[in-house]
Amino acid sequence: MFEVKKYSEEELVMQLQGRNQQAFSYLYDNYAGALNGVINRLVDDRELAEDILQEAFVKIWNNFSSYDTAKGRLFTWMINITRNLTIDTLRSKGYKKQQKISSDENSVSNYTDGSTVEKFDALGVRKKLVNLKPEQRVIIDLAYFNGYTQDEISKEMGIPLGTVKTRMRSAILELRKILE
Amino acid sequence: MDIQDIISSGLLELYATGLASSEERAQVEAWAKQYPEVAAELKAMQLGLEDYAQANAVAPSVSVKDKLFATINAGTTFGNNNVTPEPAKVVGIQNYWKWAAAAAVILLIGSAAMNFIYFNKFNTASNNLKQAQEQMAVQSQQAKEIREDMNVVQSKFSLPVALNGLPATPDAAAKIFWMKNTGEVRIDASNLPDAPAGKQYQFWAIVDGVAVDGGLIITNDKGQKFRMQKMKSFGKAQAFAISLEKEGGNPTPTEVVSMGKI
Repeated sequence: MFEVKKYSEEELVMQLQGRNQQAFSYLYDNYAGALNGVINRLVDDRELAEDILQEAFVKIWNNFSSYDTAKGRLFTWMINITRNLTIDTLRSKGYKKQQKISSDENSVSNYTDGSTVEKFDALGVRKKLVNLKPEQRVIIDLAYFNGYTQDEISKEMGIPLGTVKTRMRSAILELRKILE
Repeated sequence: MDIQDIISSGLLELYATGLASSEERAQVEAWAKQYPEVAAELKAMQLGLEDYAQANAVAPSVSVKDKLFATINAGTTFGNNNVTPEPAKVVGIQNYWKWAAAAAVILLIGSAAMNFIYFNKFNTASNNLKQAQEQMAVQSQQAKEIREDMNVVQSKFSLPVALNGLPATPDAAAKIFWMKNTGEVRIDASNLPDAPAGKQYQFWAIVDGVAVDGGLIITNDKGQKFRMQKMKSFGKAQAFAISLEKEGGNPTPTEVVSMGKI
C-alpha cells in the first residue's frame, strides 16, 4: 500500500525459497524497521533489541522452507517468529511481561519521534491512526505487538473477555477502514 | 456455518494478530482454503495490521544488516545443511594423525635397526681395539725384555764365558755373562736341551777348586728358556759349570754336562 515494491509477495517468497540473498536483503530493508518496532515495544535495551532482530532474521533465513503461503501473509509469519523470540529471550533473562505495559497505553507519542522509519508514508498513517479510539488501539498493541492472549488483555485492562473480543474485532475493522 | 458467521466469529482477528491456538489456526486455514471471501477478509486484516506495524517501525542501526549477512554467510552454526562439513573435518584430522603415527612407527623401527647395526659395529671395533692393545702390550713387553738382555750383552762390564758340552753330552752348550763390576751372573740357556723328566739343570761356580751352587736353570718353561736368566752373584770364580740333577737340585754336582773356564 505504501511501499514501492520491487518484488510481489509471491516473487519474494519464491526467491527466498531459492536462497536468493538479494531477495533477503530486500526483505530486510522492507521489514526490519517494522519488526524492530515490535521488539522495541517489549525491550527497553536498544542493543539487546537489535541482537534479537538479527537473530530473528537469521531464523527467518534458516527456516524459510517451513513458511507456507497457505498460512497467510509472509509478514504475519515473520512477526510471529520475532515476537516469540523476543518473549523467549526476555523470559530467559528474567524479564516480566508487564514491564512496558504502561508505555503501551500512550504509544502514539512514543512512536512519533525521529527514530521511526520514514520509508513508508508512516506520517500519513500515524495521522490517520489518531482516529483510532485509544481503547481499540491498546487492544491491538497488546495483542499484536506484545503477544498478549485475550485472557491476559482482559485481566490487564480489567474488562470482561467478551468485551476484549468485540473490541479487538471492531479495532481491526476500524484499522482497515482508516488505512484503506 | 456461513461466511458471515465465520467472519464475525472473531477467530480471523485472533489469527491475524498471531494469537490463535494451533487448532484455531488449522480451522481458519481450512476456511480460507474453502471460501475465497474468508481468505480475502483474512488477507485484508493481515495487510491492515502489517501497515500498522510499518507505521510503528523503528529503524535499527545500519550495522545490524552487515552483522546479519556476515552471520548467514559464515553459516557454520545455523541451518541443517551446514552440519555435514564437521565430520569431514574430523576425518581429516584422523587421517593426519594416522599418517603421523605411521611415520613415527617407521622412524622408531628404523632407529632401532640402526641402533642394532651400530651397536654390533661398535662391539667389533671395541674388541679389535682390545686385541690390538693386548698385542701391543705383549710386543712392548718382549721389546723391553730384549732391550734388557741386549743391555747385558752390550755392557762394557759383562764378560762372556762359553760353556761347552762334555764328550758325553756334546749338545749341552750355554753362554754366561758375568758382570765384573757387580758380580751378577746371567745365563743364556737357549741352546741347552730340555731336561729329561724328573731332572733339572743346576748352575755351579768353581771358586778356589770348590763347586758352589749358582741356582737352578729353567729350560722346559716356554718363553723363559730363551731369556737370560739371572743366577746367584759371585765376586770371584775360575770356571762355571752346569750339571743335571734331580728336581730341586743337590748340594754338590753329580752329573756335570757342560763347563767353561774364564
